[in-house]
Amino acid sequence: MKKFVIILSMMALLLTTGCAKTETAGGEKTIRIAEQYGIAYAPVQIMKAQGLLEKNCPGIDISWEQMSNTAAIREAMVADRLDAGFMAIPPFLIGWDNGMDWKIATGLSSVPTGLVTKTSISGLAELGEKDRIALPQPGSVQHILLAMACDRDFGNPQKLDNNLLTLSHPDGMNALLSGSDVTAHFTSTPYLEKELSTEGFHQILSGNEAFGDEFSFIVGVTTKKLHDQNPQVYAAFNQSVAEAITFINDHPQEAAIILSEAYELPEAEVLAYLSAADTKYSTTVKGLQTFSDFMLKTGYLKKSYESPEAVVWEHTDYED
Amino acid sequence: MKIKALFLKPYSKYIWIALMLLAWELTAKLALVNPLAFPSLELIFTALIDSIINGDILLQMLFSLGLIVIGLGIGVVLAFLMSFLSVVSPVFASFTDTCVSIFHPLPGIALLPLIILWIGTGSMAILFIIVHSVLWPMILNMTAGFKAIPEVYKKIGQNYEFNTFQSILRIFIPASLSYLLAGLKIGWARGWRAAISAEMIFGASGGIGGIGWYIFNKRVFMDTAGVYAGLLIIIAVGIFVEDFVFGKIEKNTINKWGVA
Repeated sequence: MKKFVIILSMMALLLTTGCAKTETAGGEKTIRIAEQYGIAYAPVQIMKAQGLLEKNCPGIDISWEQMSNTAAIREAMVADRLDAGFMAIPPFLIGWDNGMDWKIATGLSSVPTGLVTKTSISGLAELGEKDRIALPQPGSVQHILLAMACDRDFGNPQKLDNNLLTLSHPDGMNALLSGSDVTAHFTSTPYLEKELSTEGFHQILSGNEAFGDEFSFIVGVTTKKLHDQNPQVYAAFNQSVAEAITFINDHPQEAAIILSEAYELPEAEVLAYLSAADTKYSTTVKGLQTFSDFMLKTGYLKKSYESPEAVVWEHTDYED
Repeated sequence: MKIKALFLKPYSKYIWIALMLLAWELTAKLALVNPLAFPSLELIFTALIDSIINGDILLQMLFSLGLIVIGLGIGVVLAFLMSFLSVVSPVFASFTDTCVSIFHPLPGIALLPLIILWIGTGSMAILFIIVHSVLWPMILNMTAGFKAIPEVYKKIGQNYEFNTFQSILRIFIPASLSYLLAGLKIGWARGWRAAISAEMIFGASGGIGGIGWYIFNKRVFMDTAGVYAGLLIIIAVGIFVEDFVFGKIEKNTINKWGVA
């Protein structure tokens, strides 16, 4: 019997060591931020390139973690490998709904997003069983926007759910343009513009049409741990994002130079994206309530927040 | 105490599984782990039962199984043809060798961008990935099996004046059956991996999708217990096939003949 106890406790040990955490001692000035690429994340790149965090919080130890998608960011935060990240509102709400201890710290950007199809398709109603709609993943902002449009037009938010295809933006663009069975792609800047400038493709639904208003496409999110245990770093994080946003809005040309190096894109192209009418950088969080209400109604969320303080940190601007 | 004897019985697997489940539950309950990363068994089984009653998990499972069985079938036929030709013709053998060394190390998922361009994204593409991951290890096993057949067996076949077809059926297959079965088991496991990873990317392909799509959906909606429920279903089917399908075949063939 003794042997059993030993075997059992060893197995329990084995199972728990997998979850051992890399401790970041409270009070030390460290932050782990998810780094992502794209026009929607431009302020993050500016913040990094100009060393804004280092300036606002001298002695800070920053580690930029490469993350491929929102699900990975959430999982990294659950595993305590990440303190702050940037994502759309729906994936944030899904994490919050499932008990993640995090809140929105700041708005970041609104960029053009929309559903591009072959010109032979002129509206959502014409998307049939054979059509494939590529988008980053179910539960992403693109998916929820599509569900909003389906709900309004057909009274069935899930109408096109079985036509979805999970592809990253570049893969989705290749699949659409190659003329395979992917006939539609819900995407954003700069892939949206590239597809629309290709002959034979047009946009049948824009993000704002689906949503019914303007909304924050990307927001900045931090864990409760960072907010509570490291207020100095948290404040510096918010200040740096705000400064980066102001910099882009005030000096788009200089920002374009920095970004064109980071993204390996021509400067003029980046500047065109930054100054497009639908591209806005702002620390104000917009559209939270609408997303939450819709996702609760359609069952993507199990609960709703009673006051916005449950999902945004204090001093964060938001409007609905 | 005859504890040791318990573990030498055929059902020892289930004792280990029970112990692992117990360790799991103890960890989830006693250790300070985040339920989002490490849900307790109740949560997992609740999610599983909920998916069975309210969801399509069983149909999705059948869908994946169907694809894997078809993929395995195509893989077995192709592998058999290529291995047999290799044994008969040294020229073809060098061709097969080259193919194996080129394609065997290539993960199907690495071919994805190409597959999307060539075949598109439907069930055909998933099938292609399954066949790709099943075929090459199976060829390796089959050629090894055919090469290991003692010369004297083949001579017996010549004595009986078997034609090629008869000698395949009555000499080659029975004499190398333990290799073929081992190949089939590897192919089965590889087929699963390929199907799940392809489904996670290709989505529902117009229908309800397979078990990979189920798991992926649970992941993106942060239903960790649901992810584990999906894994449990895969494990259950895997054990069932291992014990009842392969076990039966082995018992009635190689074990009975005494070749294993």
